[in-house]
Amino acid sequence: MTALLAVARYEFRMQARKRSLWIAAVLLGGTLVVLQGDRGPRSLPVGTPAREVMATWALLFSILMPLAYGMLLADRLVRDRRLRVEPLLESLPVGPVARLGGKYLGGVAACGLPGLAALLVAAVTELPKRHDPALLGWALVAFAVVTLPGIAMVAGFALVCPTFLSVPLFRVLFVGYWFWGNMLAPAFLPSLTGTVLTPIGDYAATWLLGSGQTALFAGTPGLLPFLRPDPSGASAALSVAVIVLCGLIPMTAAALAAHRATRQTWPAKA
Amino acid sequence: MRLTIWLHEARRAGPAALLAPPAALLLTAAIAMFIQLSGAGHERAERLLLAGLEAVAPLSVAMVALTIVVRETCRELHLSLPTLHLATIGRRLGVLGASTAACCLIYAAGAWLAGYRLGPGGAATLLVWAAPALWLAAFAALVAAVTRSAVLTSSLVALIWLAEQIWATVFVTPALRPLFLFFTSRVGDGPGWAANRIGLLAGGLVLLAATAAVLHRPERLLTEEDA
Amino acid sequence: MHIEIADLRRRFGRVTALDGVDLTVSGGMFGLLGTNGAGKTTLMRILAGVLPATSGRVVVGGNDLSTRGGRVAVQRRLGYLPQELGLYPDLTPTEFLDYVGLLKGLDDRAARRGQVGDLLDLVGLSDVAGRKLKGFSGGMRRRVGIAQALLGDPTLLIVDEPTVGLDPEERIRFRTLLSSLAGARTVLLSTHIVEDVAQTCRQTAVLAAGRVLFTGQVTDLTARAEGVTWEIVTAGSPPTDGVVVSAIARTDGTHYRVVSPRPPSPDAIPVSPSLEEGYVALMRSATPLPVG
Repeated sequence: MTALLAVARYEFRMQARKRSLWIAAVLLGGTLVVLQGDRGPRSLPVGTPAREVMATWALLFSILMPLAYGMLLADRLVRDRRLRVEPLLESLPVGPVARLGGKYLGGVAACGLPGLAALLVAAVTELPKRHDPALLGWALVAFAVVTLPGIAMVAGFALVCPTFLSVPLFRVLFVGYWFWGNMLAPAFLPSLTGTVLTPIGDYAATWLLGSGQTALFAGTPGLLPFLRPDPSGASAALSVAVIVLCGLIPMTAAALAAHRATRQTWPAKA
Repeated sequence: MRLTIWLHEARRAGPAALLAPPAALLLTAAIAMFIQLSGAGHERAERLLLAGLEAVAPLSVAMVALTIVVRETCRELHLSLPTLHLATIGRRLGVLGASTAACCLIYAAGAWLAGYRLGPGGAATLLVWAAPALWLAAFAALVAAVTRSAVLTSSLVALIWLAEQIWATVFVTPALRPLFLFFTSRVGDGPGWAANRIGLLAGGLVLLAATAAVLHRPERLLTEEDA
Repeated sequence: MHIEIADLRRRFGRVTALDGVDLTVSGGMFGLLGTNGAGKTTLMRILAGVLPATSGRVVVGGNDLSTRGGRVAVQRRLGYLPQELGLYPDLTPTEFLDYVGLLKGLDDRAARRGQVGDLLDLVGLSDVAGRKLKGFSGGMRRRVGIAQALLGDPTLLIVDEPTVGLDPEERIRFRTLLSSLAGARTVLLSTHIVEDVAQTCRQTAVLAAGRVLFTGQVTDLTARAEGVTWEIVTAGSPPTDGVVVSAIARTDGTHYRVVSPRPPSPDAIPVSPSLEEGYVALMRSATPLPVG
């Protein structure tokens, strides 16, 4: 456990210090603030509950900001090989599963940082207009249920997939998937949009809105109807759980493969 | 000699990278076939096939282009050789362009033979993919040359691509129309299409010229790691 | 090939890597010594046309490196082995050399192939010419590096820390190879291993903190330690006065060689210095030791 946390801590430090993560997050977040239009959180009337305001902000940031996280994490495992640190890491007493888990946790934490910062900045900028300190509390809640599960899912796939796809191909597929699986209307083309599997946080945001209307497409009829329950607190919790578990699937597969590779390598080396 | 150096550069561009455009197109075609076979209709499948040509292919070309500019394990050696590094990168991008063109032509021909209409037809169909691919790849190459960061460049490419998909109505307005990558799939190939394509081609050439200007000082690319 | 460097400066942001370097190199083998971070690699990169200078003048074989034409003219006659040579792991040595040969302008296929074969023979890699580079050891990678540098029969060879990471036998082999090449060429050897320069070069320069501390004959650098090199044999603690250059334990006690302006102990006897001791004496005179 200590090793896992140590790897996570240093992975977090290394990634959180990357200027490109922050610049990309600012550019993507800034674009959303500029392009949000009439349906964005800035247009919500004064008196709108803080919970609804921050849910709208969280959903807005989830449209584009996870792209930066996916791009950042896409070469984190491939990079160890490229920088020739893999043999050094393999010589350490830390097992491959702990290394992988640490990278995952550190990556999620580092990518969560700009996500959390964006929501807190949004809450602070809303304060003079809405005079509701609860905005800060709801920013944290929105981060936990809308932003963080999405990051957890993106991190799992972005760390593992480039090791068997090429990094450029993963990046193409990730961007295409993000549009198709989160924002493309189910009526336009069969897609995962509106299911509990959408990492953009559609169900959780709909629950936070609490106004009876869906945030984006949560529960809209379409492909795989059993994944489209009516939006509610329970379906939001289910969505959060399913999204996090989805991110753990590639991680588990990679951990099993790494564990098996280690077991196969040692007797041969001895 | 000419052919040999191009063959070498094709290998340097990286087979994994060069496989990205055909793989992305194949995946799109497979999904379109699935849609067609699942009874969702010919028109939906056609729409997706067109999106593959106009949106997915340029995105994959751009992601590979930025990788070509940013990644080079022998950069210092290259800079000490009499061949301009700009020429080396140019050849690799040329290989990428040629392989993408071949993939897109086969894809478009296959779709046409299967009875799908992707764009205006004839030689003009080339512009369905060539114009956005040139613009987005040149944009990626320029940002990669300036920032030397694959993370930042790929994020910006993704931003442009998704923003134009999500806020398509904004990009259709006359002021932004020369920058709109998805005119064929979102508006059609009627009035304004040719001007949009010419605008994208011209913009792409300007971006390529700017990339060449930046790469004229290739020592800027001497960096061990992304910032 | 004659090299003339005048008031050369190179800055990276606020860091000054080269601070007014003046140096003249004629033919033969020239050693460039200095501590890590002294500016050797920056100087090598500028001479290879990889990096531009911030200011100053560098003329190589009559070609001014500040112009594009001058740089290309030099690069056509240059063989360069960078300190950290990245190789393409998916290529064999033959393919790698063929590729570099093409970029060096060796257009004649048969001549290029012939040269690649000869160079692989020269560096002892003919047996593994068809193996992928990804499985090569550090020494084999350096040998591929020197082979690519020799492609096109360059008249100027710049090798940056070529023997780092090599085993003793490979280091000697490498030094001998470089010496044999220096006959008709100018070979610029940058290293922090004094022994490599002692065994191969007649001329040398010492860089420290971006400045030239010494330039001249290797024997003159050795002479810097004349009268300040001592040997002490003691079973007790090592001498504290001066710089201990070597310590060899024998049955009669430990034999210390020390560079110090005055005898480090009453039993110290003056001995004739090595180049390493000359280098230490020079560095010591340039950097005053803390008092106390």
